[in-house]
Amino acid sequence: MEFHIQDVTMTYPNGKQALGGLSLRLGSPSLTGLLGPNGAGKSTLIRLLSAALMPSSGVIQLDGAPLKDREMELKSRLGYLPQEFGLFDELTVWQFLDYMAALKGIRDSRAAIRQVLQDVRLEEQAKARIRTLSGGQRQRVGIAQALLGDPELLILDEPTVGLDPEERIHFRNLFSRTAQNRLVLLSTHIIEDVQSVCDHLIVLHRGTILFSGAPERLIQAAAGHVGVFWEQDAPENGEISVTARVHTACGVRCRGVAGVLPSYARPEEPTLEDAYLYLISREVAR
Amino acid sequence: MKRIVKYECRRLIWNRFFFGFLGIFLFYGWQVLKHEVLPGVAGTAPFSPWSFGSYLSRMAPFLWAGTLLFLTFFTSRKARRAAVLTDASPADPRRYGLARCAAVLTGAGLLTLACLGEAAFFYGRYVHWGHWETLLAPALTVLPPVLALALGGGWFLGRLRPWLVVLWMALPFLWMALPLPSALGIWNGSFFAEYPLTLGSLDPGFSLPGAVAAAQGAALGVGGIAFWGSFWGNAGRGG
Repeated sequence: MEFHIQDVTMTYPNGKQALGGLSLRLGSPSLTGLLGPNGAGKSTLIRLLSAALMPSSGVIQLDGAPLKDREMELKSRLGYLPQEFGLFDELTVWQFLDYMAALKGIRDSRAAIRQVLQDVRLEEQAKARIRTLSGGQRQRVGIAQALLGDPELLILDEPTVGLDPEERIHFRNLFSRTAQNRLVLLSTHIIEDVQSVCDHLIVLHRGTILFSGAPERLIQAAAGHVGVFWEQDAPENGEISVTARVHTACGVRCRGVAGVLPSYARPEEPTLEDAYLYLISREVAR
Repeated sequence: MKRIVKYECRRLIWNRFFFGFLGIFLFYGWQVLKHEVLPGVAGTAPFSPWSFGSYLSRMAPFLWAGTLLFLTFFTSRKARRAAVLTDASPADPRRYGLARCAAVLTGAGLLTLACLGEAAFFYGRYVHWGHWETLLAPALTVLPPVLALALGGGWFLGRLRPWLVVLWMALPFLWMALPLPSALGIWNGSFFAEYPLTLGSLDPGFSLPGAVAAAQGAALGVGGIAFWGSFWGNAGRGG
């Protein structure tokens, strides 16, 4: 499965341009992380790729043919978790998944439901009414319906919102396993979620692509631009963007990114979070 | 799509809201039967088609509202939030919409059966009468146009703007309060109370003036066209 996005622009009816001149290739197998601050255009891109929106201009191709001509084919291969969604509160978890399985045309729905309930660790809640579930459990029902039927393409918009740290790790690993022979697109603003599992990273900012490539490349680009320092050593309005502050017995230890590290900062190996923040701060400073 | 119909029926019918509405519906019907039908409408027997028609006319706005309340399960904000998941599925939107419509019809059918069953129980218990075939004509005159116009119009309007369903729901109650032309007398209950008096005989047989029949036929037709327009004219997701 391959998406080819060519010069795609998306402007909403209210005049707000969410994406401008975006070009991109996405192919399976891959676990692609989509990072960006709020309003960067992540959800718009995801809605375009799931055929929930049509671009204002430009072309999106799926396996060489325009997506608008292959909407039904795309949907038959798609597992989709939007950022905001509702569930049928009147049904039990099992019934809701059976409902979605019927819409997806899954014949052996019992086996498929049992599998996804196991994947999202909701076996014990199978007979619980959805209205009785916690926020995290509802999120897991959302993930379960996306996984139903082993879709070739999995698009997940902020899938780990509302999940506790242990669950987040579980789902990260689950998505990673799923991506071994599929295309998984994972949109998030939690960098930890993509750090350890994504083989491809796209950073969006104000509707354009700031970076597209392997996460290691982004980290390499930030080498020499990340440093640690004591807060008391730094002048006010220093040229370094502070990304973390830790209170210690000796004072406040800061971590930051800068185009040119000041002399009071000791260079550090960048993490993906540092690299991302460096990229964004550089863009904001322009 | 059988599974969809089954689950939609469960959503629409198997809840406190439905049973609460049914309770109010039956209570109101019982009051109409006891206080208006039992003494006889327009000087006719309580089991005459005129008295029965009057009962159905009084129940029609509630049947209308009940049908549209089912529809709000598909047009509410919560339902629209769930639609982002169902819209991403490969199901044919028209078939999916029709499956949901079948669930609404099942709910409306249950309300209709409850309304007719209550009348049957009343006639059997209090009047010891059971010639139901004579009541078929007023039932067919009143009920199908009401259900068709409520559902067809509601489905069509709900796709345009969800709040229009609520306005549409209030329409028959507005009609009850308005002095409608005699051709629309069934919609405010005046037809069954007034028309038999003009026939000049005691307990006249059921008949329908051409204008009233045309009005009922038009309601049925408009409902059918609106329904058709909802599904086949640029069809979208049901509700």
